[in-house]
Amino acid sequence: MRYLRLIDRFIKVSFVEEVSYRANFWINLLHSLLNLITGVLGVYVIFGQIDTLRGWSYAETLSVLGVYLTIQALRNLFIGPSLDALAGMDGEVWSGNLDFTLLRPMSIQFLASFRRWRLFALFDLLLGLGVLVYAAISMDQALSISNIAMFLLTLLFGAGILYAILLAFSALVFWSPGVMFMWIFDGVFQLARYPLGLYPGWVRLALTWIIPVGVITTIPAQALRGGLSMERLAFSLVMAVILILCASIFFRAALRRYASASS
Amino acid sequence: MPSLSNSPVIFVRNLTKTYRVPERESGLGASLKSMVRRSYQDVKAVQEISFSIQAGEMVGFIGPNGAGKTTTLKMLAGILYPSEGAAQVLGHIPWKRETAYLRRISIVLGNKSQMLWDIPPLDTFGVLGEIYSLPAAEYRNTLDELVDLLGMEEVLKKPVRNLSLGERMKCELVAGLLHRPAVLFLDEPTLGLDISIQRRVRDFLCQYNQRYGVTVLLTSHYMADVMALCPRVILIHHGKLLYDGRLDGLAQQLAPFKLVRLTLNHGISTTNALDLPPNAEIIEQENSHLTLRVDREAAPSAAAYLLDKLAVTDLTIEDPPIEAVMDQVYQEGNV
Repeated sequence: MRYLRLIDRFIKVSFVEEVSYRANFWINLLHSLLNLITGVLGVYVIFGQIDTLRGWSYAETLSVLGVYLTIQALRNLFIGPSLDALAGMDGEVWSGNLDFTLLRPMSIQFLASFRRWRLFALFDLLLGLGVLVYAAISMDQALSISNIAMFLLTLLFGAGILYAILLAFSALVFWSPGVMFMWIFDGVFQLARYPLGLYPGWVRLALTWIIPVGVITTIPAQALRGGLSMERLAFSLVMAVILILCASIFFRAALRRYASASS
Repeated sequence: MPSLSNSPVIFVRNLTKTYRVPERESGLGASLKSMVRRSYQDVKAVQEISFSIQAGEMVGFIGPNGAGKTTTLKMLAGILYPSEGAAQVLGHIPWKRETAYLRRISIVLGNKSQMLWDIPPLDTFGVLGEIYSLPAAEYRNTLDELVDLLGMEEVLKKPVRNLSLGERMKCELVAGLLHRPAVLFLDEPTLGLDISIQRRVRDFLCQYNQRYGVTVLLTSHYMADVMALCPRVILIHHGKLLYDGRLDGLAQQLAPFKLVRLTLNHGISTTNALDLPPNAEIIEQENSHLTLRVDREAAPSAAAYLLDKLAVTDLTIEDPPIEAVMDQVYQEGNV
């Protein structure tokens, strides 16, 4: 309850912070639209030539992009900005302001994950959901309730997996403050715009087991088109739980390393 | 956690902190080499210091830059893990960072801000109230009282980035005290402030300490802060504890010399050497005024010598000013 109240407070404060930079609104708007257009255009150009690509139709491929955009929007809504305030450029680890955060009588992981909100990302969320709805309508088969339920579950697990990866990458900053590990991840995460099945075998393996960004977007898309087995659902759940646990333990270990920037 | 009235609130035994600092030469070649293999150097920031502080005490923690003051403060607050040694504050081991402990302490750092930059202080205070889960009425009362004591009503609604350094420091103090900590660690709270705001901050700390009996450990490079607030000082240098005791005892113990101030009944010519006692050193000379530095034990005999040899109209023997003592200790590094 206290944590929910805090989230509410964080959202309000972030809103006040955000509106003090009004010009950013238009830049964000432009960025969101460009992101959408380049993504959709890429898929559209390919499927202008062929009907299916390794078993994925236009609508299905678009649904993967929709999941990608939706999950990115969720990330940009709070996980990204919060972790950025910790581990990004001018982040607290770098500036030494983590001193104050460390002394809060509560879960530091909670603070590090929920305290900054970028409400502009709600617009991205709408765009992502829009692509998803469009993709769902364009699919050949009708949507069943169970498909939608499976989709929402796997989307949640996917977001959980992404959160775990981001948390772990952020924790790396305690070993080398100022190194932007997140940029490496962002490069890899771009690959998740398209279905995992489109990639050659070794890339597929890497995107499933090493940095499982493929799992994050492809599995929910499979759930939406109705081709998801119970095993895959369970796989996605187990992976999310294990990764979040490991990332939390790793994060805690990383906090112990914090030496605090010199006075 | 209730503590016995006679047991110290802060208890430190042989506390030691060694940093491992990467070391490299300047230049592109060296920096490329250091990417492959780094060499490290162990820096002993704090070495086996021990002290204890009773409830309600205000203790000045002094020493030159890099002496280990902030490191010690951060270990006691729970931000840093020590390499060796033990400490207890309010019955807790600080670096375990137990919630019950964190609710009862606070740290204010003169060169770091816990205010959110783009929004008015009131919003930051609100977030802190929620983090410390303060009941609304209690939050309101504490805030009103602190704002009143610091005289800062008018800054509450301006964005923090538009505040002056002094106004921001007041905000930092409010942010640090909203949850009514029993122990307050202050690291250079008057850093960079003008004289009148320094005084305001000092008055505030003094009043607050008297009103609530909060235990304060304060570092400052302004001896005026320490003299105004701290009857007791702990001096550390190169990570070692050099002195722990009353501020007015510091000069006696640390400065092996006294100052003899003389007024002569004639001007002093630079050509004619004055007949001075052996080992006396002139440190100031202006018209008929003269200040000499003599060994502490030799001061009485030096005075007698001077009265005998020179036409003295006035003579005083005094301890050197605290700044001069500190300067000497900082430079020589021993007592």
